[in-house]
Amino acid sequence: MNRKGLLLLLLALVLLLSCLLHIHLTEVSSSSAAQANVLWWEFRFPRLMSALLAGAGLSLSGLLMQNLFRNPMAGPYVLGINSGASLTTALLMLGGFPWMLHTIGLVGSSLLGAFLAAAFMFFVSWRVQQTTGLLLVGLMFASFTGSIESVLQSWASPEQVKQFFLWNMGSLQQLSAAQVPWLLTLFTAAVLWSLLLIRSLNAFVLGQDQAFQLGVRTQRVRLSMLAITALLAGSITAYCGPIAFVGLAIPNLGRQLLRTQDHLLLILFCLLFGALFLLACDILSIYLDSYFSLPINVLTSLIGAPYIAYLVLRRS
Amino acid sequence: MISFQHTVIGYQRPLISIENLTLEAGKVYALLGLNGSGKSTLLKTLAAQTPPLGGALTLNHYPVAQLAKDGNLRAQQIAFVSSRFDGIEHLSVFEYVALGRIPYLTVFGKVSAEDQQMVSETLKELGLTHLTHKRTKELSDGEKQLVSLARAFVQDTPVLLLDEPSSFLDFLNRENLLLALLKWVSEGQRCVLLSSHDIDLCLEHNLPLLALAGGQIQELLALDKKGVVSVLLKGAAH
Repeated sequence: MNRKGLLLLLLALVLLLSCLLHIHLTEVSSSSAAQANVLWWEFRFPRLMSALLAGAGLSLSGLLMQNLFRNPMAGPYVLGINSGASLTTALLMLGGFPWMLHTIGLVGSSLLGAFLAAAFMFFVSWRVQQTTGLLLVGLMFASFTGSIESVLQSWASPEQVKQFFLWNMGSLQQLSAAQVPWLLTLFTAAVLWSLLLIRSLNAFVLGQDQAFQLGVRTQRVRLSMLAITALLAGSITAYCGPIAFVGLAIPNLGRQLLRTQDHLLLILFCLLFGALFLLACDILSIYLDSYFSLPINVLTSLIGAPYIAYLVLRRS
Repeated sequence: MISFQHTVIGYQRPLISIENLTLEAGKVYALLGLNGSGKSTLLKTLAAQTPPLGGALTLNHYPVAQLAKDGNLRAQQIAFVSSRFDGIEHLSVFEYVALGRIPYLTVFGKVSAEDQQMVSETLKELGLTHLTHKRTKELSDGEKQLVSLARAFVQDTPVLLLDEPSSFLDFLNRENLLLALLKWVSEGQRCVLLSSHDIDLCLEHNLPLLALAGGQIQELLALDKKGVVSVLLKGAAH
């Protein structure tokens, strides 16, 4: 316990230092204090918050999906929850449903897509018992929504296509100052909700039958896990675009480093390290910015994909 | 401890009907039956996973419907050991056994010092102390089975159900498992029901036998192996 606690403490410390570094790096010279103030609240602070909340939130939702499906290769991206959010966003941006933009907006439509995809996967998980089958359905779903997005793109105007393309690459600079409280509220609600599930999550490690024998209301917990994932993945995808591999890689790293299935420790790890990982990616992209500009999705995939491949190779 | 009254058991359609049967505390009952006779369905019904189709069924005076609804009550009354535990990655034996305390923990799942001591003592009693820090994935089949028994013991319930616990064990571990169960029921108001195909082992330890055949349960008294087999076959022929 002490070694694990120490690791988490160290992680918190590194995260704090990285925040300071990020704040330092995004600083630009400004002529007046008022201008500096605007720059901070409108650009630098939302960018910092995007990195922290998206990293932490996606990792947490990955942890929940891996627990629910009892498969370390599960995650919001692989299970098509991002794809659902992506599809509804494409419909909004490319399909030209102006009424949608006015009524529910980008976030609403993204959340709707995430919830629909989560509900779809929940239904499929009743029919398809094998997790490999389930992951394949998720991948097929992602491929399917991708195709629909392509069709929509061929109809849309070049302006719309460009807007969607940029969103699709993922970015930590799209979150506006006014949106920060929204994302923060959704994120906090999701984290608090998952903290209330810790005991059930620990029981779920043994499978749903054994969890039931240990007194868990399995049906309710399953639904809660999917709802939390949809809430996190949906809102983050809306504001930052689809960000790959964070949700898949970070929980695996947590189990590997902490060597535990205690979900209190794993949740804390995912929140801290997820935030740190995306922040570090952003810091890297700031450093590289003078040479070439790298979208955040490219960076997370460059680091995340080889790690996941290594995990798969090690297991077999 | 477990009482059936005109109980009809089955999944969607009736499979077993039990007129009147009471399993007493302090005993390890063996449930015998051919494949497909309904042993697993019966155990699932007792574990409150599948509701009975009719009649009354109580465990330690609680109706099974109440146990199905109230999670903590259920988990404090009934423990279930399935026939196979495959081990779980990154989960140590100590952590695994401590999961048996879940029904007694707060939502945050914090295991108290008392709980930890209980886990250590149970592991010691089963002669498993040397496995405490081992990963559950690295255990042998026999060790996995004994460790899941430890988890069920730690759950500290009056009723313990085991689904073919000896299938993957060698003769030495079978003996150890049964001795541990007999000792456990002798220590309090507890009742064990295990399903098994190992007639020899059950007879050797003089376990009260319940034969499940042809949709009926029969208590077998003072029979040898030949007698038991003929009851099972005769029931199945109906």
